[in-house]
Amino acid sequence: MRYYFVDQDRKDIVVDLNKVETHAGITQFTFQDQTFLARRLAGKLFGSWDGKKWFKMTQLSAGETVVSNTMTYKMYRGFKPSGLFTGGAGALVTQMPGKVVKLMVKVGDKVAKGETILILEARKMETEIKAGASGVLKSLLVQPGQALEQGVLMAEIETSAP
Amino acid sequence: MLGKRVLITNRGEIAIRIAKALNELGLVSVGLWTDNEPEAAHLEYCQEWVHLPGSTNRDTYLNVPKIMEIIKVHKIDAVHPGYGFLSENGEFAKTLKAAGVIFIGPNPEAIAAMGDKAISKQWAKKAGVPVVPGSVGEVPTAEEALKLCQSIGYPVLLKAVAGGGGKGMRPCYSDADVKTNFEAVQREALSSFGNAGLLVEKYVKDPHHIEVQILADKKGNVYHLFERECSIQRRHQKIIEEAPSPFIGADTKLRTEICETAVKLAKAVGYDSAGTVEFIMGDDRKFYFLEMNTRIQVEHPITEEITGIDLLANMVKSAFNQPLDFKSQDDIKLHGHAIECRICAEDPVTMLPAPGKIAGFETTFPQGIRFDHCLYPKFTITPDFDPMVGKLVARGFDRAVAVRKVRAALDGLLLDGLKTNIPLLKVILDEESFKAGQYTTHYIAGVKPQEKVAIAEEARSLLVRVASVEMGQV
Repeated sequence: MRYYFVDQDRKDIVVDLNKVETHAGITQFTFQDQTFLARRLAGKLFGSWDGKKWFKMTQLSAGETVVSNTMTYKMYRGFKPSGLFTGGAGALVTQMPGKVVKLMVKVGDKVAKGETILILEARKMETEIKAGASGVLKSLLVQPGQALEQGVLMAEIETSAP
Repeated sequence: MLGKRVLITNRGEIAIRIAKALNELGLVSVGLWTDNEPEAAHLEYCQEWVHLPGSTNRDTYLNVPKIMEIIKVHKIDAVHPGYGFLSENGEFAKTLKAAGVIFIGPNPEAIAAMGDKAISKQWAKKAGVPVVPGSVGEVPTAEEALKLCQSIGYPVLLKAVAGGGGKGMRPCYSDADVKTNFEAVQREALSSFGNAGLLVEKYVKDPHHIEVQILADKKGNVYHLFERECSIQRRHQKIIEEAPSPFIGADTKLRTEICETAVKLAKAVGYDSAGTVEFIMGDDRKFYFLEMNTRIQVEHPITEEITGIDLLANMVKSAFNQPLDFKSQDDIKLHGHAIECRICAEDPVTMLPAPGKIAGFETTFPQGIRFDHCLYPKFTITPDFDPMVGKLVARGFDRAVAVRKVRAALDGLLLDGLKTNIPLLKVILDEESFKAGQYTTHYIAGVKPQEKVAIAEEARSLLVRVASVEMGQV
């Protein structure tokens, strides 16, 4: 199974996972030269590097944001959703968690590169989210007051031919 | 008091803590939920849930007219404001009083007396409580500054009236220092702030933030529950607190002196609830009044742990004019040592808020851990609220045991999905000067624990994450 970890700059790390179910409910996972074991016990999830020392793990789901060291990644299983981060200059994606304060344009409006599309509040500061390209606003997927995570598509611009 | 209806005008971990006290006392806990937090975790502990429409703080927890309307409609007898929001708003306390509703906090006059820093300092001076000695207003010339510095005694701080953030201030250790620095600081003040006005203040070297917990009833009895030390701070906010203060240590005379000074001030302003008197203490062990917080504080659990007294329950009892759980100051004894680590949704290195969604949450704690929190898997920490989401508290036979327990508890606290300060807290608890109890408010700036945050091997770290997801697949 292939996993994608996508960071703030939409760069991704690919983890090609080898999974083998072994005896006694233990599952063995291999990635590069690392082997990891996991099993369930009393409804909780446990992991081990050597099969001797076990530690509790959190139960995660694909599509969630995870933290490794000081990096935050959006984690995807099997595929990278399109439109979320493969979009070009016309796709507006949140770079950090924030809250929509105000929408400045509506769907169907002509927008010029650098024009403010909406205002986002993040870390107690208001940030103007500007169009990365000129064109027509194709979709506006957020509403004022909505709290957004990092990596969420907020709006899409149908870019006009250069 | 039984069966009275109490509205909690707060959210998060403190709303849970208040609801626990209300339920235990046989009162009806009424919790609020807002449009941006419909699944508010604190409702789990509240007996009744009321919708407070709106999604900004100004529209909800700070909106007095809306709250007054809810009080009327839901026949509320008393309000507990928690900390932050309306907790130190004297006007709100007055409005409640006029409406015949009990405010679980001090009387409006006491809030007014302690609410403004300048006014509270005047009250302190009147009550004979030491404040940081200094000039009253600007000092125009070097000659006058010199005279004043000599009367205050060195070291002295020359600082810009408009200063802040460490700029435009310089410590002086002698007459010669004052002479050479006066004009230099004036110039710096003029160029940085456009105002050359200077103040002279006693320089408190190697300061400690030490605060005394006060609990008072409505009959004029004021008690203290010993002190807390909160010198580990970042961005002028506390991250680790402990009780009693390791700096005061075994100096019982000093402990009694600072605690009794706090009681003296509380009595002078007619204080009649739970509150905290904050002091700054230098390496010469002299202390000065900073301010009084007229509310329950974030770090109250460590005081509860070392005294065995439930501060929230007694604060409620005091408001309803009921006898407190103890009879005299002598009933309040200090047992062992307690430490609190504030768990914050923030980057452990930059120490800036990093809101997000909790993807996974598990705990495996050592014996005797208290975790006051509002966390659950899939809980979203929005940028609207303080990044502090939980308080990990350990009490031990002595300081070493408390440090050991809280350190082990940090290893057993798993939070994924957002950045937290847990890695930073681990570095501090492992660091020698912290372990020795030798630190001041300059700790973060001096020791720079954020530079030692452990880096895990990326491949291993990611492998654990994908294994977790795979184990959840059917």
